[in-house]
Amino acid sequence: MASPPESRVFAEQFAIELASPLHGAAGGLTAYAAADRQGGAPDLMAVAVPQRAPPRLRALQLLDGRQPGLLAPLGHGVGPAPQDEAGYYVVTPRPPGAALADRLRPWSEAALIEHVLRPVAHVLERMEAAGVTHRGIRLDNVFQARDGHPVVLGQAWATPPAMLQPALYEPPYSAMCLPAGRGEGTIADDVYALGALLLVLSLGEVPAVAQDDAAMLRRKIEVGSFHAIAGESRLPAAIADLARGMLAEDPDHRPTPALLLDPSAARGRRVAARPPRRAQRPFQLAGMAVWDTRTLAFAMAMQPEQGLQAMVSGTVTQWLRRGLGDAGMGSRLDEMMRHRAGEGSAERGADAFAVMRMIVLLDPLAPLCWRGIALWPDGLGSALAAAIGTDTNVMTRLDEIVATEAIASWATLRPDRCDHALLRMEARQHRALAQIRGPAGGLMRLAYTLCPLLPCGSPLVAARRVVGAADLPPALEAAAKVVDQDTKPVDAHIAAFLAARSERRLETETNGLVGNADENGVALARLRLLAQLQLRYYQRPLPALCGWVAAHCQPLVDSWQNRPRRAALEHRLKEVTAAGFLPPIVGLFEDAAARAEDAIGAQQAAAAVARIDAELAQIEAGGEERAVTARRIGQEIAAGAGLLALASMLAMAAFG
Amino acid sequence: MARSKADPKRHSLVWLQGLACGALAALVPSLAVMIGILLGPGLVMLVLDQEPTKPVARAVLLCGVATVVDPIRALWSAGHGLDASLALAGDLRVVGTAWSAAAAGWLLAELAPVVVRAVLEAGGLARAAQLRAARARLAEEWGLPDAEE
Repeated sequence: MASPPESRVFAEQFAIELASPLHGAAGGLTAYAAADRQGGAPDLMAVAVPQRAPPRLRALQLLDGRQPGLLAPLGHGVGPAPQDEAGYYVVTPRPPGAALADRLRPWSEAALIEHVLRPVAHVLERMEAAGVTHRGIRLDNVFQARDGHPVVLGQAWATPPAMLQPALYEPPYSAMCLPAGRGEGTIADDVYALGALLLVLSLGEVPAVAQDDAAMLRRKIEVGSFHAIAGESRLPAAIADLARGMLAEDPDHRPTPALLLDPSAARGRRVAARPPRRAQRPFQLAGMAVWDTRTLAFAMAMQPEQGLQAMVSGTVTQWLRRGLGDAGMGSRLDEMMRHRAGEGSAERGADAFAVMRMIVLLDPLAPLCWRGIALWPDGLGSALAAAIGTDTNVMTRLDEIVATEAIASWATLRPDRCDHALLRMEARQHRALAQIRGPAGGLMRLAYTLCPLLPCGSPLVAARRVVGAADLPPALEAAAKVVDQDTKPVDAHIAAFLAARSERRLETETNGLVGNADENGVALARLRLLAQLQLRYYQRPLPALCGWVAAHCQPLVDSWQNRPRRAALEHRLKEVTAAGFLPPIVGLFEDAAARAEDAIGAQQAAAAVARIDAELAQIEAGGEERAVTARRIGQEIAAGAGLLALASMLAMAAFG
Repeated sequence: MARSKADPKRHSLVWLQGLACGALAALVPSLAVMIGILLGPGLVMLVLDQEPTKPVARAVLLCGVATVVDPIRALWSAGHGLDASLALAGDLRVVGTAWSAAAAGWLLAELAPVVVRAVLEAGGLARAAQLRAARARLAEEWGLPDAEE
């Protein structure tokens, strides 16, 4: 027997109370009160995973179990949702108190160090050891039971990493990315968010510029993160020193969580970072004042077309040499432009490639920037998941990134900051998946492959949050009871989902959907896929699904040419359909010997009919010929009769 | 179909037939007179029949010749004189028999083709019905298109 779907296991373990929503408990996400049916823990909450935002599988796997100072995940799976639908939930302990955002006030230096910095550093140290990041440290996702108690980090597992983080708490190189494309990042990004949180708590208010993410991001790029957040405010010296280090632009320059456990040591740590060279006068690009290579790279990332124009016209290199005094950088960019001219710009994405390379040269810390969007390579899957069916422009750009293996090129340009060999291999794999033709391939297949917890996006089963292949048969059975029977039971989403989730077990069947121009071939491939799905994952009757599938088998029935055999097949199909198992239906249409016999019989019948038609035509056209023959024979008969009479008379005369 | 140019071999046969007839008229005029009268319809048909093989004339002449055997024997027994020849040729019974036989030959030559054609058409219709039934059976069994009307 097939093992029960994970959703059933989850439902058996946790009870979700939809009537008891918990406001402000999940950092902006919807959450409900929940209880552990087996362990009896009542103080749980179930955080609803938003549509098209896959939860973080790695964190869910590595952080399983209660942990001090962190609302760690205890389980995840499909549960009930309002309006009789299904939802995907991540269950965590409930926050011990209100979020810090609910009672924002200036914190003292001692309170910040004792109740915020040290407890969070402890948590981050453990997470670093576990190999996961939090990426959700912000004012409305950090909780405190009462004054004088250490803070607790909220959940950050129900959405892609940092997806809900405002630009205030994210390093600029993460904030400039697509919200779903920020990637797992490193623990240094959590240290950065903690530094931003310390500043906000110390100030007792959120800086006005942080109300606008774009303005906050630009400010951080222009003046640096610390000055963008702190502004001209007076801060305790210890907090200012700590935050300055934690908000360093280069992640390698930020203190580690272990170092933050000893604030005095962390405060005294000095990283000799060379200050960026700054021009005397700004250079205007795309409405932005460019002072240094960092702001130039950012402006080119945001406005790539204008950036390329400025580069081609020579304005940028001229400014680099004369305004910034960085002749070396100007020469490198010139060399790159000559290389581009040599390659020719007809190649797909040649201009985008050029801009991407320029940005990496100007600012090696920057993420992959491609025609106005930015993302970290490990955020590709969740970025795809968020964009599918909603944002065509982003999908087009992501398609180009995958098709041109831009991630590999980007990684090659900054080998000391990433594992470029691994990224190059992954880029090739992504391209190979995206190039698979038909419904089982393309970007949809890639998204489902990269996001193991992304639910199937087919409208047929979207309401039931199908995450695993084993959950699909019962979802299709439920859909079969309400769906218009003319709708095909396997759409592109389901094909791509199964191809990604079945771990090659259904690869033959999903490949059958590809490159099959014949409608009957597609119908049979679809039937085989669903039959194998039932056989391997859900060996229970599915009568409604069988009826739905059988309604789409008429072309297959009609493909049999012998009418008595076809009638018998229809009768047998009705019998098998009622039983609710798909493999016998496949067996009806996959009898190769009978198929061959049918084809030969049809050929022989056609030949016989052709012969009959020819003979009938000959009979109809042979009237004149028959008349001539009749006259000839008649005349011969007359002559013969005359001759017979003469012979008789001669015989009578001779003998009589 | 009438021939536009006569066959040279047929010309020689006609010449031989003419020579035979002339020799008969010269050597036995009484016999020639009697045969000419009794086979008159057949000789007329030889002229009227436009077919190359003279099928109607052939039937008429063969039937006529069959009835002339007895009068020739009678003429020969009577000494094959011109008087006897005229007497036999004037005998209504002898002439009637000969000309009736010629008429029967003509009727047979005209009716036989009609009867044969009717038999052939009936056979063709029966075969067509048999074929149509077989075709309809195949079309129904294999879903083939019906025959065009």
